[in-house]
Amino acid sequence: MSGRRSRSRQSMSPSITDEQINDLMAKLQAVLPEARLGINHRVSAARVLQETCSYLRSLHREVDDLSERLSELLAMADISGAEAAIIRSLLM
Amino acid sequence: MTISNGDGDSAAKDGRRERKRKRRAEPSLVKWKTEGEQKTYSSKLIEALRRVRRSSATGAASAATDHSRSRAVREAADRALAAAARGRTRWSRAILCGRTLKRRVLPRAGRPKPVGPARAAERSKPPALKTKARVLGRLVPGCRKLPLPSLLEEVSDYIAALEMQVRAMSVIAEALSAVGGAPSPAQTEGPI
Repeated sequence: MSGRRSRSRQSMSPSITDEQINDLMAKLQAVLPEARLGINHRVSAARVLQETCSYLRSLHREVDDLSERLSELLAMADISGAEAAIIRSLLM
Repeated sequence: MTISNGDGDSAAKDGRRERKRKRRAEPSLVKWKTEGEQKTYSSKLIEALRRVRRSSATGAASAATDHSRSRAVREAADRALAAAARGRTRWSRAILCGRTLKRRVLPRAGRPKPVGPARAAERSKPPALKTKARVLGRLVPGCRKLPLPSLLEEVSDYIAALEMQVRAMSVIAEALSAVGGAPSPAQTEGPI
């Protein structure tokens, strides 16, 4: 096929257009939880980036808290074979 | 096959091209939301947690601080998450490579980027966006020097993966706190 256009080569142009930026920001906004930005389409790119950073930090914090909780639970009682089976059945 | 068959052939070609383009497009975010993916991740995580528990028990049991244990749990969770990504994203590969870039202080890290003399006209991104994008790049493992479009792809995938990680770990924590209420080992041999 002669029509092989590689997308990655296009994005390596020296300046990125405003339209591309808006497009990317819209995609990123779709990933963020709605409570952060609302369904407002007129959020600035800087705001989207900022909210993304703060959302990432809060996710990291949540994982850290859960790791702490899990390590405490692990310290209390090992996951024996029976318990692992119970947990797996709970997950199924 | 250069026989032009009219609409049928071109439609087939378009279909093939469409599929080719889709395959090279960004990895789908949907998989992080499926139950199957979360269950697979949860089982892998449980196995890793057992290993963590075992290694911290055979070592200096009393000296193992809570902080080092929770850090071990966090690293096990992140490594399992990166493995679930199957090497298709930068952040996952960076985590599996031991995150050496994040921990080691690179000699180049402190130096500000030299502004090219003739390139000023080409920089159409306002500096405010640049700074925020750089901050974002530091938050995602292995994505510091990425241009904005690739960075945002990595960020979306990373966020979706992290959300699954949080869901899975919450479920496991709930299950453990319900089941592991009795610390005495004798009770684990219960009727199952």
